[in-house]
Amino acid sequence: MRNSGAVLILTFIAKLILQAAGVSPPGKPRLTSCRSPEKETFTCWWEPGGDGGLPTTYALYYHLENSETVYECPDYRTAGENSCYFNKNDTSLWVNYNITVVASNALGKNISDPVEVDVVYIVQPNTPENVTAVVVHDEQGPFVRVSWEKPRTADTRSGWITLIYQIRVKQEKDEKWEEYDAGMQKYYNVFSLHPDKECMVQVRCKPDHGFWSEWTQTTYVKMPNYIPRERSLWILITIFSIFIVLILTWTLNVKRNSMKLCLLPPVPGPKIKGFDKQLLKSGKTEEIFNTLVIQGFPPTTDYENLLVEYLEVYDNEEQELVLDGKELSEDFMKSKSSSDNDSGRGSCDSRTLLLEKCMDGREGSGSDQHQYSQHGETSWASTESSESQGAEPGSPESTDGRAKTWPVVFPQPHHHYPVGAVKPAYHNVPEILNQLSPHATPSNYHQLHHQDIPQQELRFSKSACRHSQSYNQFNLDSIDTPAPGVPPLPSLEYVEVQRVNPENMLLLRPLSDPNREPERSDCTGEDYSKVKVVTSHNILLLQRDTSHQCVDDYSQADQCTTQQPPHPCKPAVHQWNSVMPQEGMRVMGNGYVDSTVLMPSF
Amino acid sequence: MNRVKVLQAWLWCVSLWPCWLSHAVPLDCKDETGSLIQCTSISQEKLLDRVIQHAELIYRVSEESCTLFEDMFVPYPLYALRNQGGTMCHTKPFPIPGSKTEIQQISDKWLLHSVLMLVQSWMEPFVYLQTTLNRYDDAPDALLNKTKWVSDKLLSLEQGVVVLIRKMLDEGILTPSIFEHTLTPDDEPSPEIPESVLRDYNLLICFKKDAHKMETFLKLLKCRQSNKLSCLSY
Repeated sequence: MRNSGAVLILTFIAKLILQAAGVSPPGKPRLTSCRSPEKETFTCWWEPGGDGGLPTTYALYYHLENSETVYECPDYRTAGENSCYFNKNDTSLWVNYNITVVASNALGKNISDPVEVDVVYIVQPNTPENVTAVVVHDEQGPFVRVSWEKPRTADTRSGWITLIYQIRVKQEKDEKWEEYDAGMQKYYNVFSLHPDKECMVQVRCKPDHGFWSEWTQTTYVKMPNYIPRERSLWILITIFSIFIVLILTWTLNVKRNSMKLCLLPPVPGPKIKGFDKQLLKSGKTEEIFNTLVIQGFPPTTDYENLLVEYLEVYDNEEQELVLDGKELSEDFMKSKSSSDNDSGRGSCDSRTLLLEKCMDGREGSGSDQHQYSQHGETSWASTESSESQGAEPGSPESTDGRAKTWPVVFPQPHHHYPVGAVKPAYHNVPEILNQLSPHATPSNYHQLHHQDIPQQELRFSKSACRHSQSYNQFNLDSIDTPAPGVPPLPSLEYVEVQRVNPENMLLLRPLSDPNREPERSDCTGEDYSKVKVVTSHNILLLQRDTSHQCVDDYSQADQCTTQQPPHPCKPAVHQWNSVMPQEGMRVMGNGYVDSTVLMPSF
Repeated sequence: MNRVKVLQAWLWCVSLWPCWLSHAVPLDCKDETGSLIQCTSISQEKLLDRVIQHAELIYRVSEESCTLFEDMFVPYPLYALRNQGGTMCHTKPFPIPGSKTEIQQISDKWLLHSVLMLVQSWMEPFVYLQTTLNRYDDAPDALLNKTKWVSDKLLSLEQGVVVLIRKMLDEGILTPSIFEHTLTPDDEPSPEIPESVLRDYNLLICFKKDAHKMETFLKLLKCRQSNKLSCLSY
C-alpha cells in the first residue's frame, strides 16, 4: 500500500517536473484521409497531435475486418510525410481496413481513433492530363474544342474503373465558372463564347462511385474576333425598317399637301370683299374708304327680309295667256321647287352681289328676258321668277323661283352694269320701269299665285307690307306710263298701296305722305305670316299669329265690290272672299293679306 | 379430287397453326399483363449491357439505403457500435479475390459464376431485411421501398445472368447452390434496438459491397468481350 502510494506520488512529482521542463508525451494523432487513385492502391494521411517537445515517431497499424492479425504500414515514404502507402499487394477490395496511428516519444505514446476504410469507396482519381483547347472555325461561328486524356493511373481500358469527366469554362472578367458534363468522352465543344476574349478551361474526373478529382491546371485560349450570327439578324431588321421608313417618307411627300391641310388647317385671313390691299399700301385713304362703302349699305331690315324669303306673286291665269305660255310654263315648272331653303345660295342671291356672275347669265338669256319684259309688270312676280331664272341659268337658285333678290330681279337685256358696281335696287327700278314697254298690263299683284307650295314652307317675309310696297313701287312706275296721273316717285322711297281701282289698278301713295294712315305704320311691325292652308283655288290661307295692328279696310273692299261688281275687281274680291273663311286672316283694303287678323265678314 | 386434297392440306395447316407459333417462340416471354407474347431475341452485347445496368442500379439503391439507415439512427454512433460488434459479412462458398490482379486472372466463366452466386446469396437476406425493417417505428417509407425494389431486381438480375451463362458459356444452369446464411430471421420480438440496428446496418453494408463486386465483375467481363487482348494484358 505504501509502496504503491509512494510510486504514485513519485510519478506525479516526475510529471510535474517534466511539465515544468516543457516535455510531455505526444498528442493524439488523427487520420485525416485515405485515398485510392485507381482502386488498386491507396494512401492514408494523418495529422500529428503534438510532439510534446520530444522527438516522436508515428506508426500505422491496421487489420482487416475478418482477421485479427495486425499489420503495420508497409511504406511510410512513398506518399510523403505522415502518410502510409499501401501498394497493390497489400490492397484488398471490398474489405474493411481498420487503421490506427500510434504516436510515441520518450515519455509515452498516443493512439488515434480507428478508421474503417473500404478501398472501393475511397477512390479519387488523379486529374486528367494533356488538356488542350483549340478554336475551331465553323460556318455558324467559331467554337472551342477542349480535349484531354485520362489520368495515367486510372485503368479505364479494362473496365476496372469508369471515369466521367467535367469541364468548366470561364471568360476573362467573368466571375463564375460555367460547368459542363462531358460524360465518359474525352473531348467537349464549347459554344456561345464571346468574341475577342480570353477563355480559361479546366477539367476534372470522377469514378462512377467515388470522389471528384482535383481540377487541372488552367488552359488558356483566345477567341477570335468575329461578328456573331445574331448580328446578321439585326442587320436584316435594320434594313427592313429603313425600307419602311423610306416608303413612309415618300408617301408623306406625295401627300404633302393634304397632310399640311390635315395637320395645319389654314386659318382664314381677314378679307374684305372689294377691298384692295394695294390701295392700302398706296396710302390713299379716301379711295380705300370709298371702296369700303357699298352702295346701298347699311342694309335696312327690309333688305334682310328681302334676302331671306320671297313670295312668288304670279298673275292671274288670264294674264298668263299673254305670256309666252310655253316658256313661262317651263319656268313655272322650274319654280315648282318646293324648297324654301335659301341655304347655299351664294352668288347671285347675295346682296353684295356678284353681278358679274349674273350678268353672264343674263346675257345668255337675254331674249327670254326681253320677252318677259314684254308682259311687263303684269307679272312682276312671274317675270321676276322667270327672268331671274332666265337670268341665272347657271345659278342653282334659278330653279327655285321662291327667293329672289331685288337687284337681280330686273335685269335688262340692254343694260349692262359695270362689273363690280353695286347699284342699289331702288335705282334700278325706275330705270327698269321706264324701259319697259307700255304693254305692261296692270295686274293683280296682290294675287298670290303659288304652285304646290307646301304650306309650312311658305312664309311671308317680315314686311309683307313692304314687299307689297315695293311691288307697289314698281307697279306704280309701270302704271305711271299708262296712268300718268301718278306722280313719279323719287328714289329710295316707299310707297304703299292705298287701294285697288276697279280697273285693277293700285293706287299708291308714298310712305312719307303725312296723310298716311297711322295704322299703316303698324304694318311695319309685322312679322312673318305663316301659311295655314292652300285652298283649291291655289290660294294661300295665312295664319293669324300677331296682334291686330293693321286694320283691315273692309270698307274699301266693299267699296270695290259696290262700285264694280262685274269687274275684274270682283274676282279679286271674290277671291278675297273665298280666301277669307279662315280665322286669323284679314284682308286689308290695299289688297294684302295680313297675317294678324280677325275674320273679316263680307 | 384435287380440290378435296387441297382443302385437306389447307385444313391441316390451319390446325397446326398454333404449333408453328410455339415453334416461332423459343422462349416463354411474358409481358406485364402476364400474357404470352413473342420474345424478341437480344444480342449478347446488349444483354450484357442490360445486366450491367441492373447491377449499377442495384448498387446505387443499396448505397442510398445505407445512407437512409444511417440517417434514421443518427444519435447512435454506428461506427462505434460496429467496431465493438466485430461484425462481418457472411462467407461465400468460394472466396472471391480482393485485388485487381487476382480478379483479372479469373476467367470469364468464373466471373459469371461469381456474380450469379452473389446474387443468389442475397435473395434471402433481403427478405429478412424487409421484415425487420418493418418492425422499426419510424423507418422511412423510402427505405422500405428500396429494399423491396432491390429484392425484385435481384430476381431479374439472376435471370439475366443465367441467360448470359447459357449464351456465353453454352452451358446449362448448375444446381443452384445453397448458401449458409449466418443470419437467421428473428421471430422473437425485437431485442434492444442497438443490436438489431447493428445487425441490419451490417447487412446493408455487406450488400453494398457485394453489389459493387457484381458491378465490377460484369464491367470487366464486358471489356473482355469487346477487347480481349487489351483487357487481359493490362
